[in-house]
Amino acid sequence: MSPSGLRAVCLVVPLICLVSPARAQLIPIKTIPIAQGDQFQIFPSNNMGMGGVSIALPDSLGDPFANPATTARLRASRFFSAPTVYSLSGNAGGGRSLPFAMLTRRANWYGGLALVLQQVDPSRPPQQNGFIAVNAPLARPGSGPPIPGPDLRAHGNQYAFGMFGRSWPGSNLSIGGSALWTGLHALDGVDLLYSGSRRVEQTGHAVDVRIGALKEWPGERGARTLEAVVVHNRFAATHNVLYVDQFWDPGLQQIVLQPRTDHNFDHTNTWGAQLEYQMALPTPGWRIGWVATVNRATHPKLPSYDITNVAVIPWDPGRTYAYDLGVGLSKVLGPATFGVDAIYEPIRSYTWADAIAPTATLGGDTIAVGGKTVENRFKFSNAVFRIGVGRDIALEGSPKAIGLQFGLMMRSINYRLQQTNHVELTQRALRTGWLEWSPTWGLTLRFPEFELRYRGRVMKGAGRPGFGAQFVVGARDLAVSSGAILAVPSGPLSLVDVNTATHQISLSLPIH
Amino acid sequence: MTLSVRPLCVAALLLAVACDETPPTTGFPESLDAQLRRSIGQWSVVPIAAPPQQDPALVALGRALMFDKILSGNRDISCATCHEPALHATDGLPLAIGTGGTGTGTARTLGPGRSFVPRNAPSLLNSAIGLSYVFWDGRLSRFGPPPPDVTLPRDLPNVIAAQAMMPVLNRREMRGNPGDVDVFGNPNELAQFTDSQPDQIWRGIMRRLLAIPEYVTLFSAAYPGVPPSSLTFGHAATAIAAFQMAALMKTDSPFDHYLRHEDNAISVEEKRGGILFFTRARCVSCHNGPLLGGQSFSNSGVPQLGPGVGRGAPLDLGRGELPNNDVYRFAFRVPPLRNVELTAPYFHNGTFATLESVVAHYNDVPTSLRNFNPATLPAAVQSSYHGDQATIDDILKTLEFTLRTPLQLTEAERGQLVAFLKSLTDPSARDLSGIVPASVPSGLPVR
Repeated sequence: MSPSGLRAVCLVVPLICLVSPARAQLIPIKTIPIAQGDQFQIFPSNNMGMGGVSIALPDSLGDPFANPATTARLRASRFFSAPTVYSLSGNAGGGRSLPFAMLTRRANWYGGLALVLQQVDPSRPPQQNGFIAVNAPLARPGSGPPIPGPDLRAHGNQYAFGMFGRSWPGSNLSIGGSALWTGLHALDGVDLLYSGSRRVEQTGHAVDVRIGALKEWPGERGARTLEAVVVHNRFAATHNVLYVDQFWDPGLQQIVLQPRTDHNFDHTNTWGAQLEYQMALPTPGWRIGWVATVNRATHPKLPSYDITNVAVIPWDPGRTYAYDLGVGLSKVLGPATFGVDAIYEPIRSYTWADAIAPTATLGGDTIAVGGKTVENRFKFSNAVFRIGVGRDIALEGSPKAIGLQFGLMMRSINYRLQQTNHVELTQRALRTGWLEWSPTWGLTLRFPEFELRYRGRVMKGAGRPGFGAQFVVGARDLAVSSGAILAVPSGPLSLVDVNTATHQISLSLPIH
Repeated sequence: MTLSVRPLCVAALLLAVACDETPPTTGFPESLDAQLRRSIGQWSVVPIAAPPQQDPALVALGRALMFDKILSGNRDISCATCHEPALHATDGLPLAIGTGGTGTGTARTLGPGRSFVPRNAPSLLNSAIGLSYVFWDGRLSRFGPPPPDVTLPRDLPNVIAAQAMMPVLNRREMRGNPGDVDVFGNPNELAQFTDSQPDQIWRGIMRRLLAIPEYVTLFSAAYPGVPPSSLTFGHAATAIAAFQMAALMKTDSPFDHYLRHEDNAISVEEKRGGILFFTRARCVSCHNGPLLGGQSFSNSGVPQLGPGVGRGAPLDLGRGELPNNDVYRFAFRVPPLRNVELTAPYFHNGTFATLESVVAHYNDVPTSLRNFNPATLPAAVQSSYHGDQATIDDILKTLEFTLRTPLQLTEAERGQLVAFLKSLTDPSARDLSGIVPASVPSGLPVR
């Protein structure tokens, strides 16, 4: 973010953030530095306070939700809960989640269930310059009922997670599968991204199915492990976007307001696979891990459009290939823990806009229906760096202990965009990047009967659409898509810096 | 420990590769649509809603009156003579030719002893759209005081009905001069009244109308609760306004579709012209709002032509001719621009015959005014051009501020501006022949 806190962002860019609470296997893609809240941090994580390191340091709480096969490491059935709240600075939004989860094991079989209820506040432009949004309904004298104001209510999402697996102790192999269903009524920030809209109603669902395997080879200094996960994620949402159009009424001889609702569909399907290998190093306590991930996301062409302005909302079909290659180191020596991850993410994304009507080009040709009017080619070169330390401190003369964690996560996003406009016969190039970073911290209270953890982090380096004049005027020129979010080519957007603070308290209770 | 250092080196290398490409964010050019919509959004330009349905009986009466020459003192000119449907509700002439003239459209010629109407006959297309001001000098307004020279009935429903009360009073346009005889050789009784007797003139017209049974029928249908003895010319004017609303509202232009979020409604060239219109060419400084004009007055440096008006004659001071409006010397109403492609010639005196010439004029108004070539005008009006240095200097003194410096538009940009102006044309306005009746109740020829 620029020092002024405002940043003009060009929108000929799709923005993709995958809707999934699971880490790693789904590679997030962002093309504008927009703060997305921390809505999907719904499951407990032990390593969150250490910057989220994960490659060479298992996350005893979070791993089963990412790779169900790792539940085989569970020694006893446990009950989890991890109330999580997040808020964006400037009163720009927030949300809270309440998960209940139980992982259980019987002989070589294991399984788990989790339910999460979530409430997401309506997104608001960050407060600035004393601006107060007017939320009252708009009266329409003589031309119908008032147009409702912005929706100020929080909306709820529901998550249901199930997992099942088996281990083969003789071969140190475990295979498990899991499914996560999400009923969505509120994706954080979506209501801000339909510029100029009056309100946005969201409905949709997401399904995340994954199969994981864990293979361990015991060794003197610690086991070597190989994890593999295949994941399929489907996202489908509808955004009913209410706009208020102005017309000149020749009868009344004044400008009148008319509501217009666009029904925007948003589908993204993702296939992903990940391999992760860990081994001990010769130096006592040190472990090293490597991870490799591949994602293929498709943003299907939408089946039917009957809205009048579809031509200006290029719901670009497209596809994305995303990869990551990472290496991690960790050291566990007595009560002290250290971990560091470094991940490189090359991503290629190709999107385009279809002509929905014969479209004349500047050269005098005509693009037939279904022909490409605009093509966008992205080349990302992202990097993630995570580092964290933890230390358990035993309380003298007591079986209780406390643990402290500190960490930092940094994500560097850089990409080049080549856009070809077949209507205007222009080619444009953009090269941009920014850095997001999150200091993290944690406190653990270990009792003989249970463990209580607090984890926190603040994500910095991103922003939210504000009330910059250009944004307001840009009206419907920014559209949002999915789980995958697709932003539409059009004009500059002003973002206001916001920080996202997340606090999670997780309770882990053994069930005897 | 050797092994533990190597991965760190790999990690550092990976990060270096990624971070090496961190440049400052560079601006990405806006698309044409983004530029145009952003520009439009600053000027309250909105699409036009459908006009309200009009009472068919009222429209039928208004249609008959619009085309019936019985409204003129000499029974030789109707409203439609100067607002000819074949010419998109104008006459195609720089200066209108009123009563006594012969022929139609651009072939119309002055009658013996007659002079041109001092100003161009504006098109009636979209005249009922809700203009703030009517007439080139805006002497009739939705908001302001009534015109200084006439007292209008108070119960007129809108400014267009009020406007329809006026031409029948004007001797050059429709009423005629004392001593005139009509097309049948009968005395023109309407011309006998003085200019300060509008009520007598309007009553005289109503006597003519109500003497024709078909008009009695039409009025009865349009005003079923009003006895013939209570009918006034205000009722007739209201019917004419209703006809204008029903038949001459043409607002379904490609640009209006674009305003309704159809990006493909206008071409790339038209979009580029639109961006110029709303930005560097400064057109929008006057042609703004829902109607793209019609709300203000401007001295656009138009060459002086014609017999002149009032105390300023032989010049036409425009709104500056009205009392207490000296600041508007040579300023005229900024016309709304929808369908402008169809309504040549342009400006208050029709001195420019094409949109191309209009844009060229605006590209450098002082130079255009000084170098105006009257040979571009029809021969009949060339002699009334006032191109003397004193007049030009006088016009330039109060020239609109934004027009004092050249726009420096290239030829290609001027072409784009013209293309944009043509995108304001409602295709259904190109052929208005369907509104012309085969006959009128008076039996006078329609054309």
